[in-house]
Amino acid sequence: MKTQIKDIIVPLIITLLILIVLEIISTALLPAFGVQKYIIPFNILIVLYLGFKLETPYLSVIILIVQYFHSFFSIEGWELGTIAGVFICIVISYLRDVLHFSSAIITITVTQIFQLVWFFTVSFLFYLKTNSFSLIVEKMWRFIPESIVISLLAPFFFAILDRIWSSGGEGMLGDDA
Amino acid sequence: MRIGEGEGQKTKIILNVLVCAVALYGISTRDFTQHKTSAFENVMIDFFAPIQKSVTFVQTSFNSVFENYIANVNASKENEKLNMKLSEMNSRLFSYKEMELENVRLKKLLDFGIELPYKKILAQVVARDASSDFRVLRINKGLIDGLKLQSTVVTGEGLVGFVYRLTDHFADVLTILDPNNRVDSLVKRVRAHGIVEGDSDRQCLMKYVKRTEPIILNDEILTSGLGNLYPKGILIGKVSRIERESYGMTQDVTISPSVNFGKLEEVIVLVSDSDEKKDLEWNALDSNSEEKDK
Repeated sequence: MKTQIKDIIVPLIITLLILIVLEIISTALLPAFGVQKYIIPFNILIVLYLGFKLETPYLSVIILIVQYFHSFFSIEGWELGTIAGVFICIVISYLRDVLHFSSAIITITVTQIFQLVWFFTVSFLFYLKTNSFSLIVEKMWRFIPESIVISLLAPFFFAILDRIWSSGGEGMLGDDA
Repeated sequence: MRIGEGEGQKTKIILNVLVCAVALYGISTRDFTQHKTSAFENVMIDFFAPIQKSVTFVQTSFNSVFENYIANVNASKENEKLNMKLSEMNSRLFSYKEMELENVRLKKLLDFGIELPYKKILAQVVARDASSDFRVLRINKGLIDGLKLQSTVVTGEGLVGFVYRLTDHFADVLTILDPNNRVDSLVKRVRAHGIVEGDSDRQCLMKYVKRTEPIILNDEILTSGLGNLYPKGILIGKVSRIERESYGMTQDVTISPSVNFGKLEEVIVLVSDSDEKKDLEWNALDSNSEEKDK
């Protein structure tokens, strides 16, 4: 378990810089090329990575920070994603022994499954807030292509984030700490 | 700082509960009509938005170079056609100017055209929202340029939305395509009232319209001026579909917005000079009605 804050700060800053660059691409560059209906939610990808590979007591706070930076680019705010992220991390902590990212196919599949958990958690909270089921149905149609893109990008991004967080490709971060 | 393994688990549980509790409180108190930014948010958005603006600018410049120089093989032929069109437009413009003057005279005559106290601020769209769940545009004007929260945003074609989040130099506009944006509206021809809500990327729904109202396709929908948010008479769009069941009290009306949100580059923000006074009056009315309810 990674318990020292100093081991977390530098990778977290680099991760936040990557998130900012990706958010700028998805909010400014892709819409300019005509991709307006679908926005790739890179924050989900980063939060899922942290949930999968980072084992530290401060995980929920790290997720909150990532979501807070995401909220500068979206009026969605940080709250929904933080709750979904923390919930997913709790689920992952119970499944940690069976989750291994030994191949790209497994990474894509596992990412897709946990994006479904993310979708249901956020949709449930969104429904409680807005009391509108039609919004959830419409959200689902956008979620399908967006989540597939995220899952396909996952092996590549996880490899980059593995280097940043000094995590082994297959194991869990903090195993060797 | 280093903590033990058992202690780590304890810290993890405490932090999880704490973060979830704060987030749940945040969701429950979130207001979809306006969002006041904190000083930190203000600084961060003002820091990142110029980068978004630069990226958009670079992309637009690249497109411009490509379209104007590389892809422009029939320039001279098009130039001739455009020159002809220009002369035609000039003659039309002349007649429009005459009509405008006539309009001013007639309005004065009818004592109808009291100028609305709105300052018009031109702004450029620099980015979109990072979540596809929300239809939000980021514009390059903010508090320093005179924008206010909940200011109406329009284009020449019609209504765009209102200012939802504001920083010193940038603002987020909640468009009428967003389901959280509700506009009190009326059908121009029959003066039937309803509430326009965002539905998808291309259309809005007009709800709570009486089933007996004789609405037809292509009827124009305007803002009604009720609700203390949008001025009266701004074009929202046209009726594109009507669902009228044999039962129920209302009919479902689908509206195609007059603004093409996919190609939106510039917008006009209407800022009321008397907002603070108006807000005080509204608050006084609201508190009076709340007291009566009690």
